[in-house]
Amino acid sequence: MGNNKTKKKGMTMRQRKTLEGLMFISPWIIGALLFFVYPILVSLRLSFSDLENVAGLKMSFNGLENYEYLIFTDTNYIANFLSSVKSTCLNTPIILVFSLIIAMLINRDIKGRGFFRTVFFLPVLLGTGYIMQQLLGTGAGDVVTNSVDGIVTGVLLKAVGATFAGYVQTFLSTITVVLWKSGVQIILFLAGLQGIGASLYEAARCDGATEWENFWKITLPIVSPIILLNFVYSMIDQFTDSSNAIISNINHAILDNAQLDIGAAMAWMYFAFTLVVCGIVLLVMRKLTFNIGER
Amino acid sequence: MAKSADKVAAKAAKKAKKASQPKVSPIKSIQIYLQNNTGKKLAKKVIIGIILYLVLFDLAFVFIYPFLTMISDAFKTDSDLINSTVKWIPTQLYFTNFKTAFNELHYLKFLKNSVLEAFIATIGHTFICSFVGYGFARYNFRGKGILFMGVILSMLVPVQVLVIPLYITFSNWHWLNSWLPLLVPCFFGFGLRGGFYVFLFRQFFMSLPWEMEEAARIDGCGPIKTFLKIMLPMSRSSVLVAVVLSIVWHWNDYFEPNIYLSLSPGLQLLPSKLPEMYQQLAQVAGEAEDVADGVSVVINQANCMAATFLAILPLLIAYMFVQKQFMEGVERSGLTGM
Repeated sequence: MGNNKTKKKGMTMRQRKTLEGLMFISPWIIGALLFFVYPILVSLRLSFSDLENVAGLKMSFNGLENYEYLIFTDTNYIANFLSSVKSTCLNTPIILVFSLIIAMLINRDIKGRGFFRTVFFLPVLLGTGYIMQQLLGTGAGDVVTNSVDGIVTGVLLKAVGATFAGYVQTFLSTITVVLWKSGVQIILFLAGLQGIGASLYEAARCDGATEWENFWKITLPIVSPIILLNFVYSMIDQFTDSSNAIISNINHAILDNAQLDIGAAMAWMYFAFTLVVCGIVLLVMRKLTFNIGER
Repeated sequence: MAKSADKVAAKAAKKAKKASQPKVSPIKSIQIYLQNNTGKKLAKKVIIGIILYLVLFDLAFVFIYPFLTMISDAFKTDSDLINSTVKWIPTQLYFTNFKTAFNELHYLKFLKNSVLEAFIATIGHTFICSFVGYGFARYNFRGKGILFMGVILSMLVPVQVLVIPLYITFSNWHWLNSWLPLLVPCFFGFGLRGGFYVFLFRQFFMSLPWEMEEAARIDGCGPIKTFLKIMLPMSRSSVLVAVVLSIVWHWNDYFEPNIYLSLSPGLQLLPSKLPEMYQQLAQVAGEAEDVADGVSVVINQANCMAATFLAILPLLIAYMFVQKQFMEGVERSGLTGM
């Protein structure tokens, strides 16, 4: 202990800070080496190799063969890949818009705020896992659209005909399933909305701004960093969701068929793609978001 | 078709009326409006209020619907399930479904497993991630940016990329068929969404003022003691958020437990037992199908719904107690200040 102290005195302030900081982060660094960097490198190597023996993980380098197999020979992979990407691209904006609307609604001074907040957080509690799949799998989504929005489709059927009503119905049933994935996003938006001071709105009202203008000129710019956060969160959530076509494809290859090398290649190709998409989104959104501190 | 649609419409309109009636702003506020505003403005306000609650109840219904079906189905007898006139309220409170589910799941044993596993993992996540997050928030040194990129990256990588090498590593360490592969990474800031908690605590500590720590340091408090005695007690709200999310996510996780615990059924967790039960009941149903077509599928649904309800019941009860503090915690956690 005493030894340590004399040592510390010999250091500059900066060195000492570095050492203390590293001390705090050290558990994470150890964990990263053991549970992250090493597995990721092995799996990367695996994706470029031919697995000879599962037990010892013996493999021989075979270049891009696994990837070529996936792209040119495997008939399922590309289709699943595209369907996953498509559903993510469709669902993310829906989740964002609806969770912002819901957050704004329950941020108002209404009765039963506690009740609504609990209800909208329910999907998070029920989990992203098996339970959720079972509940949604019972056709709950369809039934909701049938009972709640039967009115809408009924009216539409009379007004514009069956084709259009059909579109609306598909849209509504997608929304039901998608809404169930937006519990965390609603909470994050809510937290962000709570942070906006009432004085801003009051000042705007004094200057004669309408609620509509308030939303575009005050609310939206202030929550824009949270939109970015939610955007990235929703995308990752969608990409890694267990009901995702490609994820179940990977699971099938690894767990049922023991094709570890092919599975690794599948996962890597998909992961590289998600990383690029997230990177692009981050870069674009960074420019669009507005931070109160900066100016 | 059109007739039934009309019926539904009439029903919904009735419901909407019911929903909106008690919600029209309290009498007092109406009086104030009557004094201050013209009738036109008041009417506008009331209409907006009605629309607001309509939309809210509609959305809330969508969110709560599967949950309600689950509860109502769980109480249904066989005849209720077939009877199409019984939609929401079963003719009697039928607890036999729960009894079957309870025995089928070996509820108490696996509940104990699940609680214990989620509890230990949560301790690891909360404590270590707050420690690491503090380091990321308060110390500046070379390479920190890259390390923090690593944290973000660890959130992005799906488990499926890592699971094969991890499985082999753990099997080399003789950790398979124990909870060690699930628990130990949590104590190093990894495990199930570990990076998220590091991120959460970093954001929170960055939003705190420096004065308290500086005062403590001047008084001769070491870095670890400063963290434990001053910063950690101040971050109660964030700790609560991390605890709730960690418990919930661990409770519902079944991908990793399924892989690492596949050969030791005694150690399995509650959510992994559910698919087993669904399969079993499906088999039973398959046998019964010869007797009566169609009916069998409905029979096992009540049992399964009861089982599902039992599996999430502890979470629901626990959440009820911390609901308010949790919401406040999210608001204060600084998570939203990127």
